[in-house]
Amino acid sequence: MEQPLKETIRQNPKKILGVNPDDAKVALAYLSVSFVSLLIGGILGLLQGLERAGLMQLPSWLNYYQVLTAHGVLLLLVFTATFTIGYQYANLSHSFGGLLAKVRKLAWIGFGLMIIGVVMVATMIILNEASVLYTFYPPLAAHPVFYIGLVFVVLGIWSCCFGVFINYRHWRKNHPGQPTPILAFFAMGVFVLWLFASVGVTIEVLTLIPWSMGIIETTNVMVGRTLFWWFGHTLVNIWYLVATSAWYVIVPKIIGGHHFKEKLIRLVVILLVILNIPGGFHHQIIDPAISIPIKYLHVFMSLAIAVPSLMTAFAMFAVFERTGRKLGGKGLFGWLKKLPWGDVRFLAPMIAMISFIPGGAGGIVNTSNQLNQVIHNTMWVVGHFHVTVGMSVVMTFFGICYWLIPYLAKRVLTPKMSKIGVIQTIIWTIGMTIMAGSMHIAGLFGDPRRTSDTSYGGHEIAASWMSYELIFGIGATFLMIAVIIQVYAVFNMMFFAPKGHTEFPVAEPEEGEEPAPMWTERWGLWIVLLLAVVAMAYVVPIADMIMNAPPGSPPIKTW
Amino acid sequence: MKQAIYGLILYIFLILPPVANLLESIMIIHMHMQMPLLVFSGFLMGRYVITRFSSFFEKWNSNGIPGILLFVIIWSYWMVPRAMDEALTLQSVEMFKFISLPFLAGIPLRDSWKKLHAIGKDILFIYFISMLILMAWIYIGADDQICNNYLIVEQKTLGWGSLALAACVLLYLLQLLFTDQSEYQ
Repeated sequence: MEQPLKETIRQNPKKILGVNPDDAKVALAYLSVSFVSLLIGGILGLLQGLERAGLMQLPSWLNYYQVLTAHGVLLLLVFTATFTIGYQYANLSHSFGGLLAKVRKLAWIGFGLMIIGVVMVATMIILNEASVLYTFYPPLAAHPVFYIGLVFVVLGIWSCCFGVFINYRHWRKNHPGQPTPILAFFAMGVFVLWLFASVGVTIEVLTLIPWSMGIIETTNVMVGRTLFWWFGHTLVNIWYLVATSAWYVIVPKIIGGHHFKEKLIRLVVILLVILNIPGGFHHQIIDPAISIPIKYLHVFMSLAIAVPSLMTAFAMFAVFERTGRKLGGKGLFGWLKKLPWGDVRFLAPMIAMISFIPGGAGGIVNTSNQLNQVIHNTMWVVGHFHVTVGMSVVMTFFGICYWLIPYLAKRVLTPKMSKIGVIQTIIWTIGMTIMAGSMHIAGLFGDPRRTSDTSYGGHEIAASWMSYELIFGIGATFLMIAVIIQVYAVFNMMFFAPKGHTEFPVAEPEEGEEPAPMWTERWGLWIVLLLAVVAMAYVVPIADMIMNAPPGSPPIKTW
Repeated sequence: MKQAIYGLILYIFLILPPVANLLESIMIIHMHMQMPLLVFSGFLMGRYVITRFSSFFEKWNSNGIPGILLFVIIWSYWMVPRAMDEALTLQSVEMFKFISLPFLAGIPLRDSWKKLHAIGKDILFIYFISMLILMAWIYIGADDQICNNYLIVEQKTLGWGSLALAACVLLYLLQLLFTDQSEYQ
């Protein structure tokens, strides 16, 4: 039965009034920065692809490593972080019926801090004072301003984290006995993970600042790398958690179905939060200072993520099949045809989900000790994260844009723009498939990553990589076209699309579904478990690295 | 009953010689992972045992205190460095470990926990915190090798790990004190 208007206004004012304009501004500001970063980062990606393919030579004032560093920092740190904050704050505002004024202020403070930080970081990269790649761990040393900029970025993120915690707590206090809306629960998971992920990198950066200034002479490289990957790998899973929030809650609504059991969804979020951080060790499988038994035990920690991932795969395909059959799909696979393939809001995240199958399989290769020995420093790894981040995560983000931005800007998604979105999705998929695919193969043949010139004096093995490198260049060109279309679509929907009302597509549970159990709301317990897992996972290698430390490394500038 | 089966599977997995050897090869994993997992397996298996022998538990552990005392005694015993050493050297002590932790600590813990008053639970938390801090103090502070089977660096690692766990339990206790738990029922 239709709810009376009075009750709708009281309980769900968004339905009548749409988004709170002040909250929309916060989200749109973050999303604007995000897509400007995508454009610049994308151009830099193309430059790299063409340089590696031997199709162009970068000018003397702009070297490959500068471009590589800027590409990584802009896309992996700035694009994803700002998109995540914009999207999650919009989710929070929608779920809670508006943000608290102080939380909005915290989001703006975070925005300011992040902009200051990014400007500092970018300036140092442009001045060629920080060609340390986006992983920036020692012994490569950047200018101190680069690290100070990173501190500002982290402070900005923390400001947003506390904003989310305050609003969540406020809602909980005022709604006793009610589970929080599912999107807010996801936001809580994302920001809890972000806060604890960034602790590691903050400690690292704070030790690197005096080291790069020359105040302390040496630094412990192994500890630096370990603290970086504490953050680095968790960041990957933060994107993944953000993407799954759309898969579980948004996509089912778009296809006209219901979301999966909320208890399972919440369990997936909780498991991802608790188990995530120690996964970082598989990035260090070839590092010498970690003993074999510890590496072996950490394989379990990395693979633990497969449990919630497989739960997600099962739940999503169950939702698709259920909805497809409800829409009249018959036979073993007939339901697939009933899904709205022509709707970009579905197509993009669906391809993202499908690409997670090869992405996850590649991840298992990277995590396994023996297989990792073969691929560790090769283009395979680059191919792997272009599939996982560039497809599974980014295509979900792109799909989100087509309803989120019109919703926030109080405009509509026109059929023409939807078609442009579908074309963009197809071009991106082709580009990423051929680029990441050829990177995987070239990597298996030994083509090294993070290297501008791999001709090795014309050696025949090195020559065999050339054809794959040409394909990187072709793939990168497709991707650049897709980036331009996406950035055009985003800003068109933000400023020029026809005014109107766009729905915020949040799926409802199946009829008769029980509400989510309240024990899932025990964030205090989840955080303590997260900390205990981190403590147990890190104490052995870090204590060993510190107590049996080598002399340490002075700052090294190779360029 | 599923829980009891999972507990049994976990228990069998943990006592397999290669698994046990791997977990026992690192001191902190031996104490803070293998031992708690053995207790946890008993905790899960307790589901079956407690239902099957309900009158026994009702008779001997009606208020939960005998059970929790047994748990504390067993747990404290296994925190003694010599006990860990002997488990590695003497087969009989190793067997005692595999029996005592799940069946004399895990099962009584499950039966007692729900019977204990809030104060009893708080006392147990404080016991955990003080035990972990005491161990941190001993293992970090001792300059000599306490266990014949483990190096000093492993000993110190165990000390720091214990301190971190003490901090986690303390944090948990504090958030229990400062939040309204009825919210989550």
